[in-house]
Amino acid sequence: MSTAPNGPPREAAAPQAAAPQAAAPQAGAPQKTDQPEVTQAQTSSKSDAKPKDEKAESSASAKLSGAEIKARAKAEKAARRAQVKASKDGAKGEAAVSSSPTPLGPSASEAKGNKAKGKQDGAAASGATAAGRIATSKGPVPAVITEPKVTIPECFSHLPMAKRIPITQADKDVHPTVLALGQQMATFAIDESIIRLKATLLAFKKVIESYNTPPGNTLARHLTPHVLNPQIDYLTACRPMCFSMGNAIRWLKLQVSKIDPDVPDQEAKKELCVSIDNFIQERISVADLVIAEKATDMIKDGDTILVFGRSNIVERALLHAHCDAGKKFAVTIVDDPYERKGQVLAKKLAAEGIKVTYSGDFGGLRWHAQRATKVLLGAESMFHNGAMYGKSGSCDLAIAAKELGLYIIVLCETINITERVATDSLTYNEIDPERSSAASFRLLYDTTPSAYLSVVVTELGSVQPTSVPDLLRKLEESN
Amino acid sequence: MAPPKGGYAPSLGKFLDTLKSRPVNASVESLISLLKRRQINGSEACAIATAHILLQVVAKDKWSDVNELLGRIQLVGKKLVASQPRELVIANIVRRVLGLIRDEASEDRNDNPSDSSPDHRDPMNSPLPPAASEASSPTRPVRPPGALAQLGSFARTQSMFNLLSDPDFTSPPWSNASTPGATPGIASGASTPLAHGQTTDVHAFRSEVIDGIEEIMDEIKQVDEQVQAISEIIIHPGDYILVHQPSRTVQKFLTRAASKRKFTVFLVVDPSTTSAADDAYAPFRKSMASSGSIVVTVMNVGLMAYMSKANKVILGARAITAKGGVIVDAGAAAIARAARAQGRAVVILGGVYKISSENKFQQEELIEWGDPSKYVNFADGAMVSQVKVKSAVSEFIPGGDIDTYITNLGAHTRDHLHTILTDHYKEEDMSFDIYGKGQR
Repeated sequence: MSTAPNGPPREAAAPQAAAPQAAAPQAGAPQKTDQPEVTQAQTSSKSDAKPKDEKAESSASAKLSGAEIKARAKAEKAARRAQVKASKDGAKGEAAVSSSPTPLGPSASEAKGNKAKGKQDGAAASGATAAGRIATSKGPVPAVITEPKVTIPECFSHLPMAKRIPITQADKDVHPTVLALGQQMATFAIDESIIRLKATLLAFKKVIESYNTPPGNTLARHLTPHVLNPQIDYLTACRPMCFSMGNAIRWLKLQVSKIDPDVPDQEAKKELCVSIDNFIQERISVADLVIAEKATDMIKDGDTILVFGRSNIVERALLHAHCDAGKKFAVTIVDDPYERKGQVLAKKLAAEGIKVTYSGDFGGLRWHAQRATKVLLGAESMFHNGAMYGKSGSCDLAIAAKELGLYIIVLCETINITERVATDSLTYNEIDPERSSAASFRLLYDTTPSAYLSVVVTELGSVQPTSVPDLLRKLEESN
Repeated sequence: MAPPKGGYAPSLGKFLDTLKSRPVNASVESLISLLKRRQINGSEACAIATAHILLQVVAKDKWSDVNELLGRIQLVGKKLVASQPRELVIANIVRRVLGLIRDEASEDRNDNPSDSSPDHRDPMNSPLPPAASEASSPTRPVRPPGALAQLGSFARTQSMFNLLSDPDFTSPPWSNASTPGATPGIASGASTPLAHGQTTDVHAFRSEVIDGIEEIMDEIKQVDEQVQAISEIIIHPGDYILVHQPSRTVQKFLTRAASKRKFTVFLVVDPSTTSAADDAYAPFRKSMASSGSIVVTVMNVGLMAYMSKANKVILGARAITAKGGVIVDAGAAAIARAARAQGRAVVILGGVYKISSENKFQQEELIEWGDPSKYVNFADGAMVSQVKVKSAVSEFIPGGDIDTYITNLGAHTRDHLHTILTDHYKEEDMSFDIYGKGQR
């Protein structure tokens, strides 16, 4: 992987993606270690508030190296942003906090109690000072300096972009598991729509488990606005939410609101956790299995399958077809040279004995397409008009394949289907924060019109791309 | 692309420097190896090198009549083409020179029809004096002075006389100033054979051909300037222009337009050189910024996402085939395809010398596969041992994906290309199978 310029950080974190629970304590650890500093900063800010702190900072800045100053400037900027945000949230959260000094109950660590108190005497101030502290004392998170000034061309200014928010600047109500998850999303360690969804649901399960309804409230009314929403806001700030997450969160909120106020807390929480588990089981795990099987049915002996980059579901389908169904086929991987995840797939497939051809970019795309018989694409999402939201480049591949009359198969779990409509790639998209700076720009996704797709394979059935809305109706009926 | 200046890596400049001091055959062999190793790379460099080597062949080689010279050029041409068959401009230049020789020869025949030339010349053309083999001027590799010196003053005046008496003869239609409509083959029998009573000698003929080759070189050098002139017609204020790894021609085209109006350029860079690419286009970016236009470096390979925004796609051609297909840097074909899918105009820039009469190629034959280590490290054992890695250097865009071709002669449509071809090449040269196995 030494060829990939940005490979190592993402690659290294990839295994964690599969098991977010395992990742959570890991990321929780550094948080604990820097906790004393935070408390320290807060106590000092309690008494003499800002002026002194500023003085201290300015005197310290004289001794700082250029890089540190940069880091600090960035931290301060982020702090200001957080301040604005906190003041907004503050108004909302005030009632809850005043009624319950320790909103997260006994299971929550002491640190959280501290945090909550800090908030009462001005979360904004403490947030800012904490950030300053961490930056100067090489805190674990702000050490990662991203491009300080990102200038996005005017014509793309409407598109969202993931950003790394130092853990210390997150809303104090954010659960540690979610904090870790947010970092993983912001750094693209967890990237694919369906994996982000799964990780989010598992993290929310943890949030619910550690939740206790404060006296005088009911779970159904309190959980969503005061506990879930801050988590969601934080995650959205870390990285724009994908459509599947939107769908699932809507579902989860519905489940919460359905809970009978008379049901005891423990029982209600258990019920919610069980239904999250079922949801993951049904909509993700089993769905993937069913899709892999259906895709396998479409692969015939002697086929050459053209794929783009690495998509989890496509990889599963190919491995299933080869290992379990014993199909004999070859695979051509056309990769995105900026991500190079196709190499991971290439190695996995080759290790299983599948004949693999790899092309690092779109050079000679037509040549590759001519030698292929079918195209397998993994969708990030499907729009209501049958267009596919996929990794940037999927559309170009689909056009080249369609020109040659290839059969283009899209694999997509129904949870990824959205009711929105997109006619071009700039309606919904995301800017790559790593490669977008003053000098360069990169979009992460594109939209493939339904005309370039042949069939969409979901766990509810394989349909024409334009019949995607029927799947949604089917889902509604079954619920 | 090109090896660094200075350094020991051979390059076009170094090759041209050695030309004068080496025998022709050694130069030809050296050029062949440079082409094979892709150390002379890019269509313009290949064209210039080919023109220079053919000039050497004309100037230094022993030949006694036109047919011998034609045969010699054809042989050298075949060798050069075989060493880099994907670079169609090499064949183009060879054919241009062949056509040039034929033109001059027929002109000669008209000048003195009585003494049918070849036999007559034979005795005169004693082996070339060794003086011819030394040295063209070091900076601008013009006609070797040796050859010039050999021309008697008489011969020179005679050629000057021709130049004055009938411009059609000596200024070939492809010379830069001419209009596209200029008739090329006019020499054949157009002028009444006036018996001058002077015997055209080989030296005069030689110098005519050398002049012609130099004009071809000048034409290649002036392409950028002449293509630039059209930029304002193509680019409008506020446009979004998408370019793929712009060549110097494309860069100049854009900067010229930027001097008059403001627009946005989506610059698609070579993904394998993410950091170094910034350097390659830094001057371009700077000059664009100074005139107020915006350059956005796009780090995507799939450009469909940008097509709803982009107004036009401008691509530099490596070569243009007779049917309108274009050979471009790898990755550009996907862009052209996306542009067509979205209904955006695709504009191709390139000199007339890039238009090739070659038709027999299948699309996929024109893909040049290159170094697979571009994306996959050779140290990566799992990839190297089990996976077949393909990496294209150049590829082909079918003519159907292209709207306009802009050359130094102006803007053309696909259907117009064959007229340009017939203007610039002789029928017999176009049908000459330069790709056949050369008898070495």
